[in-house]
Amino acid sequence: MSDPQIAAMSRHEDEDRSAHPEMTGQVRSLWSDAWHDLLRKPSFLIPLVIVGLFVLIAIFPGLFTNADPEYAELSKSMQGPSAEAWFGYDLQGRDVFARTIYGARPSIIVGTLAVLLATLFGGLIGIIAGYAGGWIDSLLSRFTEIFLGLPYVLGAIIILSALANTRSGIGSFGIMMIVTLVMALLGWPLVTRIARSAMLAVKHSDYVQAARGLGASPVRIVFKHLLPNALAPIIVIATISVGTFISAEAVLSFLGIGLRPPVISWGVAIADHQNLMRQAAHPVLFPAAALTVVVIAFVMIGDAVREALDPKLR
Amino acid sequence: MAEVAHQADVTEVGYQAGPLLEVDNLHVEFPTRDGIARAVNGVSYSLEQGKTLAVLGESGSGKSVTAQVIMGILDEPGHVSAGEVRFQGRNLLTMSEKERRPLRGNKIAMIFQDALSSLNPVFTVGWQIAEMFRVHQGLTRREAKQKAIEMMDRVRLPAAKNRYNDYPHQFSGGMRQRIMIAMAIALGPDVLIADEPTTALDVTVQAQIMGLLHDLQRESNMGLILITHDLGVVADVADDIAVMYAGRIVEHAPVHDIYRAPAHPYTKGLIESIPRVDLKGQELHAIKGLPPNLLRMPSGCAFHPRCPYRTDQCMTDTPPLYDVGGTRHSACHHWTEVIDDAR
Amino acid sequence: MGRYTLRRLLQLIPVLIGTTFIIHFLVWQLPADPFDGRCGQRPCSEAFIARMNEQFHLDEPFYVQYFIFLGKMLTGDFGVSFNQVPVINLIEDAYPNTLKLALVALTIEAVIGVGAGVMTGLKRGGFLDNLVLVSSLFLMALPIVVVAFFMKYLFWAQLGWIEPNVSTEVRWSELIVPGFVLATTSMAFIARLMRANIAENSSADFVKTAKAKGLGSGRVVGVHLLRNSLIPVVTFIGLDLGNLMAGAIVTEGIFNINGVGLTIFRALSLQDATIVVPLATMLVLVYLFMNLLVDLLYGLLDPRIRYE
Repeated sequence: MSDPQIAAMSRHEDEDRSAHPEMTGQVRSLWSDAWHDLLRKPSFLIPLVIVGLFVLIAIFPGLFTNADPEYAELSKSMQGPSAEAWFGYDLQGRDVFARTIYGARPSIIVGTLAVLLATLFGGLIGIIAGYAGGWIDSLLSRFTEIFLGLPYVLGAIIILSALANTRSGIGSFGIMMIVTLVMALLGWPLVTRIARSAMLAVKHSDYVQAARGLGASPVRIVFKHLLPNALAPIIVIATISVGTFISAEAVLSFLGIGLRPPVISWGVAIADHQNLMRQAAHPVLFPAAALTVVVIAFVMIGDAVREALDPKLR
Repeated sequence: MAEVAHQADVTEVGYQAGPLLEVDNLHVEFPTRDGIARAVNGVSYSLEQGKTLAVLGESGSGKSVTAQVIMGILDEPGHVSAGEVRFQGRNLLTMSEKERRPLRGNKIAMIFQDALSSLNPVFTVGWQIAEMFRVHQGLTRREAKQKAIEMMDRVRLPAAKNRYNDYPHQFSGGMRQRIMIAMAIALGPDVLIADEPTTALDVTVQAQIMGLLHDLQRESNMGLILITHDLGVVADVADDIAVMYAGRIVEHAPVHDIYRAPAHPYTKGLIESIPRVDLKGQELHAIKGLPPNLLRMPSGCAFHPRCPYRTDQCMTDTPPLYDVGGTRHSACHHWTEVIDDAR
Repeated sequence: MGRYTLRRLLQLIPVLIGTTFIIHFLVWQLPADPFDGRCGQRPCSEAFIARMNEQFHLDEPFYVQYFIFLGKMLTGDFGVSFNQVPVINLIEDAYPNTLKLALVALTIEAVIGVGAGVMTGLKRGGFLDNLVLVSSLFLMALPIVVVAFFMKYLFWAQLGWIEPNVSTEVRWSELIVPGFVLATTSMAFIARLMRANIAENSSADFVKTAKAKGLGSGRVVGVHLLRNSLIPVVTFIGLDLGNLMAGAIVTEGIFNINGVGLTIFRALSLQDATIVVPLATMLVLVYLFMNLLVDLLYGLLDPRIRYE
């Protein structure tokens, strides 16, 4: 390439108001395209309404029931649904409807917070590894593999059991935070792997090579080109993960090592009444139904977002 | 020359007693979300034994879709809405799949533009050629291998025997196209359709592949339909040329006539856009405008928005294939002017 | 290929050391006191604690304990539990059961997942396609606890076809329902993966070539289309064996199958680190080696992959 050509090109880059609106416009149009697509899809809107409802329940459970979830009347133990208690009473004579309503908050808080932490940490590591390459990438990849080698349920059980004795008397908030942290700790490597490969794919794409050839600064390349394009897969995995994390929390609580009293948990409710299934299914049925609906709603939202952001899969 | 419209003769272009393959007034439609795309609108051509017909046109002109109909491998949701394809006098389109399959690959074979994606990446090239013999002729694995190696030799693949067990990605572009050709001619077909066989190749390799096709055709006396968008490729090989535009044949003539004096403005534009050494330094001609959207076809002659000879008649009347003399036909109301300009 | 295998094996060493170190640390160091509750209601006697410290090197610094453990594992010595039972006995009891359960689950997910994926991938947009798309989404989302209870409720409480608990012999036929429970998520995933692959490949040029060769539609789909579409699915199934074995804890618990997960879980509640660490390490080993195996297998399935 001759010198005047390079000069012309870098000038082009300097006046880049003319060169870049198109490029950023493309990025923006992927997102706005996806957004418009989503707003027209019932498979996105319906689960969104459901999630909205559960978020409302989680914030203001008192709006939905007057009953006290902790008030127990043993004489009513295992009574079926009635006008007075829509979902009936559990083994200890507590109102199942109230407990199902109050169980939404811990599930949603733990699920979303754990995903947020895992995505921030895992995404950051993955983006650094993918962008830096070389020995930094090797080091971070090995580090990630060590945690990936620890299977999710096994790892969670080991850590939570180890912490079982140290966490008495930490209150509801403490219990929830421990479960959140453990799930985030085991969840981040997956995000890292996805973020890293997304970053690598974008880094080697022709338009980034072109931007580099035109003399764009590394900072500009990272913020204008790499991040906006590598972000899509990370957002997709994060949205789907909220559902799977809530599901995982229920499994841990079911095993007796996740959430526990005084926190009201759907997983614990299922565990407590599992052996009474032949007598009466309602104390298992309603928390299980609530859990299922929330998880499916989140997974459906994730699926719709994935479809909207990845035109190839349509 | 008299300007006579041969409406009735349109379907009989080049018809002689017992041609090998005839496409007769073929219409193909693709239903889409925005309406029906008419990819092929009444195409007719025929092919004689031992002859080469070049079908010329831009992408979207319907030349490949027509070929896929002949092969019977048209992709959903495309379908034939009218017309016939006759092979040795029998209409292929009314045959059952069971009657038709033995013809496919055996009597009528096809090669594609991109040999890398057209060969199955996970099977060895030898296996893929041998599959023809095993499926159609029921040969054993060993017999089929022997035959496949013979075919690889025949398309002048160096060290054929040693490369039998190699995979497609281990070959160069030209070698891969030779393998495609070996597979297509394995059973000695009567008709070979080559859909842009050299488009993806280097120029020097292009000439070799065209040469190979030409030699194979002469040896076995098959009919060859050569689909291309490149006029330069067909000059030495073709006997006749059919030029397609927006799903119609706009000009159909022996190759020499077309090069000497095109009778359709579109053909003329194509010839003028070939770079020529003797015109070095002059500006290269290009046909202005874009090919039409198949969903919103222009009224009258589909070429009129891009045509320098356009008159009011062109915007309202669809031109029939006028008999231009000899075996030539042109779908232009003003073909006399076009020919005169060229002379 | 040989050099690549060697490099991958070498890369596995730091990962193995790291993961086992984490497990060792979590199990031995995080709990406050290994003797808490070990001797019933009263505190353990001095003599007992001294003997245990001696036997399990509890007086040594933490990293020394880890290297002693690592050295023993390398020589195939899994040690004894706090109750002086050789851990190898527990492994021999539990491993075959978990492996059997995982294999049943693998078979179920492969057969149903691939079958549903092929059928819907070939005919997209139909009733069956939508049914599979919706139900696979539900199956992927359903918490395994819910699936397990639904299956147990249906086949035990309602139909009476199965016993609530799997017998100690762990017969193959008893593992069908638990295997199905364990397989649900992966089954739905495979169906979707297979559908996407078939859909993508069925418009590929090589399928067009196969049709142009005059092959019957059975051969076009069964040989040319299937072989290409199966590659990612086979690698997923390979990876899943490790996942299923490590993730079987819930299923084993609900159906009372004496497998690795349940053994680990019981040992954790007894705070017997001597059992947890070797068993968990074995699970991790299986998981990591399956990863490696699948990586190498990929090269055999797809000739385009080359290992540098």
